[in-house]
Amino acid sequence: MISRLLLEDVLAAAMSTGADFAEVYAEKTRNNGIRFLDGKIDTVSDDMVSGVGIRAFIGTRTVYATTTDISRSGLIRCAKAVADALGESKAQVSINLTERIFPNIHPVKILPGSTAMTTRTDILKSACFAAKERDEKVKQVMGNLASVDHTILIANSEGLYTSDRHVRTRIAVSAVAVSPDGSDNQSGSASPGRGMGLEMFDFIDPKSVGIKAADQALINLSAGYCPAGQMTVAIENGFGGVIFHEACGHSLEATSVGTGTSQMCGKLGQQIANTKVTAIDDGTIPGAWGSVNIDDEGTPTQKNVLIENGILKSYMIDRLGSRRMGMAMTGNGRRESFMYEPTSRMTNTFIANGPDKNEDIIKSIEYGLYAKSMGGGSVNPLTGEFNFGVSEGYIVRNGVICEPVRGASLVGTGSQILMDIDMVGQNLDTAQGMCGSSSGSVPTDVGQPLIRVSKITVGGR
Amino acid sequence: MNFTEIKDIISAACTKHSVEEYEIFYTVGEDISAETLKDEVSAFSSGESAKVYFRCLVDGHMGLSSSSYFNADELEDLVLRAKENAGAIENNDVVVIFKGSESYAKTTAPEPVIVDAGELKNKALELQKATYATDSSVVDGTQSIAMSFRNEIYLYNSHGLELSNKVGMSGCYVVAVVNKDGEARDNFEFAENISSEAAAKLPAKAVQGALDKIGATEIPTGKYNIVIDGTQMRSLLSAFSSAFSAKNALLGMSRLAGKEGEKIASDIVNITDDPMREGCPVQTPFDDEGVATYKKTVVENGVLKTMLYDITTGIKTGKETTANGRRGGNIAPYNFGICAGADTQEELFAKAGDGIYVTGVKGLHAGANPITGDFSVESEGFLIKDGKKAGPIKSFTVAGNFFALLQEIDSLGNEVKWGIPGGFTVFGSPDVLVKNMSVAGK
Repeated sequence: MISRLLLEDVLAAAMSTGADFAEVYAEKTRNNGIRFLDGKIDTVSDDMVSGVGIRAFIGTRTVYATTTDISRSGLIRCAKAVADALGESKAQVSINLTERIFPNIHPVKILPGSTAMTTRTDILKSACFAAKERDEKVKQVMGNLASVDHTILIANSEGLYTSDRHVRTRIAVSAVAVSPDGSDNQSGSASPGRGMGLEMFDFIDPKSVGIKAADQALINLSAGYCPAGQMTVAIENGFGGVIFHEACGHSLEATSVGTGTSQMCGKLGQQIANTKVTAIDDGTIPGAWGSVNIDDEGTPTQKNVLIENGILKSYMIDRLGSRRMGMAMTGNGRRESFMYEPTSRMTNTFIANGPDKNEDIIKSIEYGLYAKSMGGGSVNPLTGEFNFGVSEGYIVRNGVICEPVRGASLVGTGSQILMDIDMVGQNLDTAQGMCGSSSGSVPTDVGQPLIRVSKITVGGR
Repeated sequence: MNFTEIKDIISAACTKHSVEEYEIFYTVGEDISAETLKDEVSAFSSGESAKVYFRCLVDGHMGLSSSSYFNADELEDLVLRAKENAGAIENNDVVVIFKGSESYAKTTAPEPVIVDAGELKNKALELQKATYATDSSVVDGTQSIAMSFRNEIYLYNSHGLELSNKVGMSGCYVVAVVNKDGEARDNFEFAENISSEAAAKLPAKAVQGALDKIGATEIPTGKYNIVIDGTQMRSLLSAFSSAFSAKNALLGMSRLAGKEGEKIASDIVNITDDPMREGCPVQTPFDDEGVATYKKTVVENGVLKTMLYDITTGIKTGKETTANGRRGGNIAPYNFGICAGADTQEELFAKAGDGIYVTGVKGLHAGANPITGDFSVESEGFLIKDGKKAGPIKSFTVAGNFFALLQEIDSLGNEVKWGIPGGFTVFGSPDVLVKNMSVAGK
């Protein structure tokens, strides 16, 4: 993308006023999207992102500059802007870059961009028509097939010069079901993705995605409103893991821990969760949605055990966080694109299987909510106060799953909820999300087996 | 590469590949920001960005492509990709490259300039010092940030239409973190224009807001009269604004479908969309299709006067575009806000009697369904006791249906609180009193 020799000059220019570290991140990304709407292919989008971000540090002071001008003069100008903003001294620096090739643990078999357009539109249509044909009450189906082909190049003043190519694919279907008299409409959705090419459809049938979205809309159409109040809640596997992502994950990122604005500061080695809870962030799972070979600072990803039997074991730490906290980087430095300075982010984060049988979890609930499918959520890492939406829920009475309810949300405080997870089941599964934070929107997997939370506030009416 | 060079390369490629009707939309911008932690500027960033969006008509279908890679081969490829993409489209919508409106309004916002880096750093430091000095409970983690951006937009099409616009602003924000008796709370406040009076008042406002949250209690589940602060009501309006899109109505994805001319809100509710709102640093004289924009009343005395249209949905429904076309076949408003009512905030509290004043709603992306209007959201705020603001409350949700809420608005505050300009749309609302809403607490 950009030659090693040119990058040596760019890094030297960025360090010319006394920086103790400098880094160049260059990217070229093709984003393709096909949208299905109202029974037809509606829009095809095709975007190329190209640009460079240059960063330099003095201690924990940072300067970051970006440009879409990747000519020699454009890059040197950008590097000088970094140097001018960072320091006032003069420094003669010479940089020697050595190319490193990291192992590719996410090989791609079918690059979406290299296939015929009809191959992709057929996949999308098969998912969308499956939703439409599920029931005559399904009146509208919207679908999207998105693929990202992302090539990055990272060079830094420690001599690293490396690149990586990451491909990901995702299909999203949302269905709207309308009651026979037209007075009510409800929606449902499903959106699996992988860090793969089109081979993801070898084991995810597009039709099943459409059917899942349609069924959720139909169930919500038959549901009454969820009652409000505190109750016992069983949260199903897959996207249910968003509870850990929001209630705890963000508070373990150096972004908040390193600046002292996390409820989890200073708690390493302490019991912060029920002993049944073990939680892991693992960016190395082959082909997973949140996996990458190297993070956006050039550090290989790794498996980080965050919580083991309730004890806090590790944070997620990027390069700046590592300087602030005096701890090693964990391969979690991520960003949406060159427009963002990287910071610590989750990859594939999940609660591991526990000791309880799933049927025992449901049986144990006298009256409560079974949250089968979750929407997204958000958190304030300082206070740990979080929320997330339930997209498919049922009332549980005397240990039996009963009628569906809609419009529920769950709110609570991370430190409390972690202690209140008092049963952990055995059907671990993950699901895909886009996580938004200061370095933009990045793909992350969330996951867990079925869990029981002894008491949580359920928002309803 | 500047816009003229880009335009020439793409136009030549269109001629070469027999593309007759096309449009080039180009944005180029700069932004800088200075961020403090403790007593120093901990992070400074500056960015230059540019992007070209191309679309062309091929056999009655619109092909799209875009790029930030400015190289002659890539720009030619952009034309080929858009042409190929057009071939995959199956819908029968009438799509048009617009020939131009008779005239376009002139923006009244001052010529945007990027604030000098030194000045910006000093402002951030000054705010940070003032924030720490406000109260002894202010702790590390507190941040003050000053920023400035400037964007230029150019539109050119094969009918010879050429339009341009410049927008930009400066602003600052303070995130105050306080710790009192072991309880940590934070609060975010923003002000437009770094040299404004509002900017100078940020530290005190941010710290007071954080201190006010200390000692929050939980409330019982039940029905409450609620005053929703304008800053939060505008977030609700934003979450459900897609219902005003004529495209979503045609697709059966809006509860407002077929309701033009009908009562959709209480008598006192008026909603306008003003692309050139006086005092707003982001003013938009033409939409992404090149149509001249204008101010419109969307809801008048509770009656839905018009949905928002682009050219295609206008043709489909036999109406005119309302100049709300966005790139990618979408529809969106500009300065979209509920108009001011008659009451001061104190009068709204008095009318509520006993209830809740909501100053924060969170997680709307998950807790609000724009198709059905249902929402159930984490909230923060204060009790209202005997018609007056009382102590802070926490860990509760407010639930309801946005379209039912519009019908049930009892009273409106007399000041519209606008959001932070930046992107295409800014939302605004006064404080709103709604009676008997569902609240989940302890």
